Amino acid sequence: MKYLSKLATVWIVGAGLAFAGPQDNTLVVGASQEPTVLGGDFLSIISNQSIKAEVENYLLVPMIGIDADSKNFPIMVTELPTLANRRLRSVDIGGGKRRLEMDLTLRSDLKWSDGTPITTDDIAFFNEVGNAKGMPVLNPDVWERRKLIVKDKLNFTVTFEPAFYTDTIGAPIGYAPAHVMRPEWQKVLAQTQNLDAKRDAARLSEIYRSFFQAFGSNRAINQGKMVWSGPFRVTRWAAGSTIELTRNPNFWITPPGGADKYVQRVTYRIIQNTNSLLVAILGGGVDATSRVSITLDQARSPQLTSRAPGRYDIWSVPGAVWEHIDVNKFTNVERVKELGLDDKRTRQALLHALDRDSWVKAFFEGFEPVSHTWVAPVNPLFNDKVRRYEYNPDKAKALLAEMGWRPGPDGILQRTVGGKTVRFEIEFVTTSGNAIRERTQQLFAEQWKRIGVAVKINNAPSAVVFDAKYLNRAVEGTWTGMTMFAWVSSLAELGNLFKYKDLNTGATFIPTAENNFTGQNIGGWRNDEYDRLAAQAVVEFDPEKRAELFARMQVIWAEELPALPLRFRADPLITKKGLVNYLGATYSGGNNYPNWLPWAIGWTARGAQKLFDQAKYATAISTK
Amino acid sequence: MFAYTIRRLVQMIPLLFAASVVIFALLALQPGDPLDELRQNNPNLTAEQLEQLRKAYGLDQPIYVRYFKWLGRALQGDLGQSRSYGVKAAEFVFGERLPRTLLLSGLAFAVALLIAIPVGIFSAVRQYSTADYAITFMTFIGFSTPVFFLGIILLYLFTVVVPERTGLPALPTGLPSLFWSDVTTGSISFFGFIGTWASHLILPVMTLALIQMASWTRYMRASLLEVLNQDFIRTARAKGLAERKVLYKHALRNALIPIVTLVGLAVPGVLGGAIITENIFSYPGMGRTIFESLLAKDYNVAMAALAMLAVLTALFNLIADLLYAVVDPRIRYS
Repeated sequence: MKYLSKLATVWIVGAGLAFAGPQDNTLVVGASQEPTVLGGDFLSIISNQSIKAEVENYLLVPMIGIDADSKNFPIMVTELPTLANRRLRSVDIGGGKRRLEMDLTLRSDLKWSDGTPITTDDIAFFNEVGNAKGMPVLNPDVWERRKLIVKDKLNFTVTFEPAFYTDTIGAPIGYAPAHVMRPEWQKVLAQTQNLDAKRDAARLSEIYRSFFQAFGSNRAINQGKMVWSGPFRVTRWAAGSTIELTRNPNFWITPPGGADKYVQRVTYRIIQNTNSLLVAILGGGVDATSRVSITLDQARSPQLTSRAPGRYDIWSVPGAVWEHIDVNKFTNVERVKELGLDDKRTRQALLHALDRDSWVKAFFEGFEPVSHTWVAPVNPLFNDKVRRYEYNPDKAKALLAEMGWRPGPDGILQRTVGGKTVRFEIEFVTTSGNAIRERTQQLFAEQWKRIGVAVKINNAPSAVVFDAKYLNRAVEGTWTGMTMFAWVSSLAELGNLFKYKDLNTGATFIPTAENNFTGQNIGGWRNDEYDRLAAQAVVEFDPEKRAELFARMQVIWAEELPALPLRFRADPLITKKGLVNYLGATYSGGNNYPNWLPWAIGWTARGAQKLFDQAKYATAISTK
Repeated sequence: MFAYTIRRLVQMIPLLFAASVVIFALLALQPGDPLDELRQNNPNLTAEQLEQLRKAYGLDQPIYVRYFKWLGRALQGDLGQSRSYGVKAAEFVFGERLPRTLLLSGLAFAVALLIAIPVGIFSAVRQYSTADYAITFMTFIGFSTPVFFLGIILLYLFTVVVPERTGLPALPTGLPSLFWSDVTTGSISFFGFIGTWASHLILPVMTLALIQMASWTRYMRASLLEVLNQDFIRTARAKGLAERKVLYKHALRNALIPIVTLVGLAVPGVLGGAIITENIFSYPGMGRTIFESLLAKDYNVAMAALAMLAVLTALFNLIADLLYAVVDPRIRYS
């Protein structure tokens, strides 16, 4: 008995996390990924993981955040720059290009967690590091177009030339703690002064990575080398297990009723196996799920839904990940010509043959909607009034008959092209091992068979499919028919997926030998009207006019159908009852981060006030 | 014996060189590169910028140049940096991940051996008894249960079902959020520290040990039964030796010879980590390191971990061979 009680004590000590929640005003978040670095890697040179951005929402707030309605809101600046308050100015610089000027003023009460004021010096430091020679930044085009003008300790101007409307989404620039990191940076500058950006790129990259790592690694963080600006700071990061964050008393925004009524400690539990993470949720050891956690299928599992009443809310948050089938349209590929894939009627017929409504109902209980264009329905640029392709096999057959296809002896369509009889057998590629895609593929193959189209499945692991030597080389016939996969879209929609050429910058987006096979228009669709509208839209700073231009782009797209739109994915969000302001929306925090308002996350039982309603932004998954 | 050992050690050099070439080539030849994800997610990257990044990551050079650069540095003890973590690959693999695997797999190894050998002996000595049938039945279940299934069932039992039925808190998994400094600063007692670690290790150790135990019990039983049926055992019994002496002094030592080989060869596998168990119980050890580094195309980490496994496999092969001579006087190396 004594032994048993000892064992139980050890058990209780070890399982301390299970008691988290409203009792001690803490929050335990279950995540299936762990950030490799935090904080110090402020340019995301070492890592650009989603989980890193999520955890940093608590630690290093952006100057301007993105709320659940996809709107900017000020966090560190006195007011948002708008055309109306003249803090935002768009200047015509000729050739259809514009320069954007943004005047910003930092709040005077901003402080780092060590009490040092946050000033424009920290922004200048960020800018200096990002502009260092050979810095392997993730978005070099932004760094090339952006300039910073510091006026005084609080006022500064950011310019973009040429500017795109996407430059106005969220914060135009970042910041980093100059008072902590600059001495080390000076050493880096001394070390790199004789190195050449091109010749010594690898050496430079290594030196820079070491610099970021010295303030971002697990060890550096635990040694307290980094300072924080958000409502929380890291108190402990047990690599591979947990990250503990506690309230930062120097944070400048007080939630309604006082900060003590809101969560005081946040613990990230890292459980990489999603089945194990589900078990942890079932066991009550997790209060809420991270943006990166279990799948929607797991969230709908009876084990969870049956235990949820009175304990959990389970939500399906619409996502911006677009599942589709890209079609090879390069006419130099023989098979494309034979099957007429470059003709929109073929693609329209293929889409009419699919019963996508029944598919999303059967596979996803309707939580993931059928898509009709590449723009997510929650994006302000979305156009609902485009041509839709209902399930209609007869229409599909008629369209194919128009192109000379007739049923052959085995029921599969055939036609004569250049004196040769061609059978309608199309290659269909997707990522093997992805159960949903593979099941979908079987269903679609069956539906196409009904209109006389045979499918030759040629799946490969995702590493092969997404290898640029494969996906981006449709022009060389690496894949000759269709490839099913997903694109991750964002609020900053530029229409690049289907552009031939950016008329503002001259960049081309169809991967060919000329542009070293870069660009995402992998199927090779070209529509000059679409390109013209896109070029206008991305430099249009009036949201309504921009939406009109994008609406027309979508009408053209849906008519021409360069790819077969399938569905937009949804992400699950699970929260314990009583947790408020932990709210997921498609673009909250930029990318469906539930902690976009980290200072206001709390438990109603501890006096936290509910500021937003999750039901406005997500669909509840029924519990029984 | 000494000369033999030296000769074998020298022979290892070309073997390890060949292994490193194969590992490096396989890693380099796998589809894609670390820039694929970037290329997919950032449509604005121009060909020139991409080329600059390739240069920065050293991906623009031919495989053989990259290999010899790696080898040159590796021979000086520099295994490069982890691309994902930004830390030194050697420090990450040998300093952080390997000790954790040693703890988890070492414990599971010890538990499995400590249980499997006596149970195997018992089963052999009581051949065809009810207990033997029961043990055989259990070991076959152990043999045929996939580790991912056993792991998730144990996890479900001890973190959901038992707490729901008994009110006891769930058995924790993953690593405890504790540092050694917590003991030195007095925020937790030494025994509290050990107890917390132990509570975190119960489930993964149990899973790994149960699977390993099943096979070692069968080997032990079969090996002992074979020895017990030999003439010299009959002779020992005929000359009136006590059964205890016959069993432990004459039979067991001979029966352990194949077990020594088995155990010796299992050690590199143990150090390679148990990827599935580590994954289920969120335990960041070697298995997960190898898997993740391959997925993330973190070549330096993957090379460090796989090269270490190659060295250990060669080394433990040698140790197993040498142990042969120790346990079996009939074997002599020259």
